[in-house]
Amino acid sequence: MYDTEKLGTDVNQNDTKISARNVQVYYGDTHAIKDVNVDIGSKAVTAFIGPSGCGKSTFLRCINRMNDTIDVCRVEGDIKIDGEDIYDKRVDPVQLRAKVGMVFQKPNPFPKSIYDNIAYGPRIHGLAKNKAELDEIVEKSLRRGAIWNEVKDRLHAPGTGLSGGQQQRLCIARAVATEPEVLLMDEPCSALDPIATAQVEELIDELRDQFSVVIVTHSMQQAARVSQKTAFFHLGNLVEYGDTSQIFTNPKDERTESYITGRIG
Amino acid sequence: MTDASLPNAGATPKSGSLHEIDARTKKRNAAEKRFRVYGVAAIATGIIFLIVLLFAILTNGLGAFHQTFISVPVYLDEAKLDKKGNRNIDDIKKVSTFGYNPLIQKAVLKAVEDAGIETPLTKSKNMKALVSASAAAQVRQAVIDNPALIGQTVEFRFLASSRVDGYLKGRVHREHLARDKNIDAEHLDIVDGLLPSGVVKKSFNPAFIFGADASESRAEQAGIGVSMIGSLFMMLVVLFLALPIGVAASIYLEEFAPKNRWTDLIEVNISNLAAVPSIVFGILGLAVFIQFMHLPQSAPLVGGLVLTLMTLPTIIISTRASLKAVPPSIRDAALGVGASKMQSVFHHVLPLAAPGILTGTIIGLAQALGETAPLLLIGMVGYIASNPPGGVVEGLMSPNSAMPAQIYEWAKRADPAYYERAWGGIIILLIFLISMNTLAVLLRRRFERRW
Repeated sequence: MYDTEKLGTDVNQNDTKISARNVQVYYGDTHAIKDVNVDIGSKAVTAFIGPSGCGKSTFLRCINRMNDTIDVCRVEGDIKIDGEDIYDKRVDPVQLRAKVGMVFQKPNPFPKSIYDNIAYGPRIHGLAKNKAELDEIVEKSLRRGAIWNEVKDRLHAPGTGLSGGQQQRLCIARAVATEPEVLLMDEPCSALDPIATAQVEELIDELRDQFSVVIVTHSMQQAARVSQKTAFFHLGNLVEYGDTSQIFTNPKDERTESYITGRIG
Repeated sequence: MTDASLPNAGATPKSGSLHEIDARTKKRNAAEKRFRVYGVAAIATGIIFLIVLLFAILTNGLGAFHQTFISVPVYLDEAKLDKKGNRNIDDIKKVSTFGYNPLIQKAVLKAVEDAGIETPLTKSKNMKALVSASAAAQVRQAVIDNPALIGQTVEFRFLASSRVDGYLKGRVHREHLARDKNIDAEHLDIVDGLLPSGVVKKSFNPAFIFGADASESRAEQAGIGVSMIGSLFMMLVVLFLALPIGVAASIYLEEFAPKNRWTDLIEVNISNLAAVPSIVFGILGLAVFIQFMHLPQSAPLVGGLVLTLMTLPTIIISTRASLKAVPPSIRDAALGVGASKMQSVFHHVLPLAAPGILTGTIIGLAQALGETAPLLLIGMVGYIASNPPGGVVEGLMSPNSAMPAQIYEWAKRADPAYYERAWGGIIILLIFLISMNTLAVLLRRRFERRW
């Protein structure tokens, strides 16, 4: 038994949003994440970098318990958001995911209208009392997603008809529509061209004002551009975690240095 | 001008020219050509079989839609039909069909005489062989419906007997008449004589499509309509049971059930059930629904239940396949915005899988519609003389047949006139199956979403 209230106050003093302690993840017999400890700050962008298969996406998906949907996946250790253990028995993952939004690698709008894509989350969580409020939420979310001007005249056109970059911004708008506190992004730009990537990066920078953003990326330049903190994962271990500028200019660990200079990965 | 060509360009290639095909390539190309020929041959064989089949069905079956009719004015004699003369409906009903036969035969004889046909058959009784035995019932019904007709001369159109019909369709030959007790050469002479005036005429017979089955001796009267209604009620039972049960089972197995030994076992068994011979389901239905649950024999309800058991695996397999085909990214997206598992399934996955589910269901229904074997065992095959049911309960519970069972029954009967009707029934059954499959294709085209 732990006293979550007390722990919570401790953590909040350090302005930490998410704190992970001794997190282990197993896929069947495979030990995918080994003993990860990390504190992710609130209202900042944290980047997870590392070679393919190093566990950064797996760890990201632990934060909103998307791994629950995988039968063979087992998570050990503590992950706390605002001091509350999200793997506690009392936590309903559905409620958690409303608080921790997620944007996926491949843009995955629902095959419905742009309006319905955004309105879906607020509808199922009962965030709008009437149509006018819902309209307002949709507009606000699309503005936050920096896509309002492009779609305001065709809100009832299918979301799947947009270009890849627009689709991804639509997905970001959809994720922020439920007013989450944390936004997880799993390689959000890997399917986008450089121009769309630049737009999404700009957007991430703006989102920092309201959300704690955690982004997994393969591009070290992107991590350097958008994040304040960077975590380097290698073979399931969190090798190094610190200020982005420090990680890229003065890494402490040899493996980090090898990776950012292109010798491994 | 810039010379951008490679230093070696234009020189003779070292190993063979590209303009000459080497032996190995030749061999490969020949093998490919042979394979294409095999493919074309296989498809051509298939098409030839299909054409032969369609040709056989159409040449044998189209005749069933045309029937020979005899149109004659019948004098409805008051002395015979209403002796008391007070038009009391109860008295009129007392006169059985036997009372009507002489009137009809007289009317036909008069038509023969009017046409000036020389024939040794001068008695009205001799005309019996020309007219269907259903004629008397037809006149009687007309009189009961409208007693005011008594005493008048009314034009009736009777079905000709199946021998007359067969003669005009080329099924009954004069050389074989010696062995036929039902008709003589003189009758056929009369038929020949009545043809020009249009008294005897072949025309379209809607009663074949909408009518009820008839006894062995009245082939001309038999229709597939009532068994079509039997099939319809069975399909309703299948649709209302198999679709919800099948879809619910598939959704649970595909989206919610843990993957363990039990679900694996269930999965294997569903696949096996799809391959179980349908007669096994028939005997299961006999044992469970009729002998144990005491549901009525020959009832479309029981037939529908048996066919539901048979169709379920088909629906489950196709529904699971279409659920699997929905990209996982859609599920992730729904869960990611905080939808529950059930919301993600019902709001997003199911609508996307719906066209596939519908298609699978229609194909399953079509399969059930054409199924005969299980019906043998629950008593839906045989001469089931029923009229169209009056309501839904009667339709489900009263004895009836089904289209394929009716076709089987006709093909089994001795009178060659039924052979033609069996083929005609097949045409109607095929029309149903083709339209159901077309509907399935159209639905899939209409609602399919692409990513």
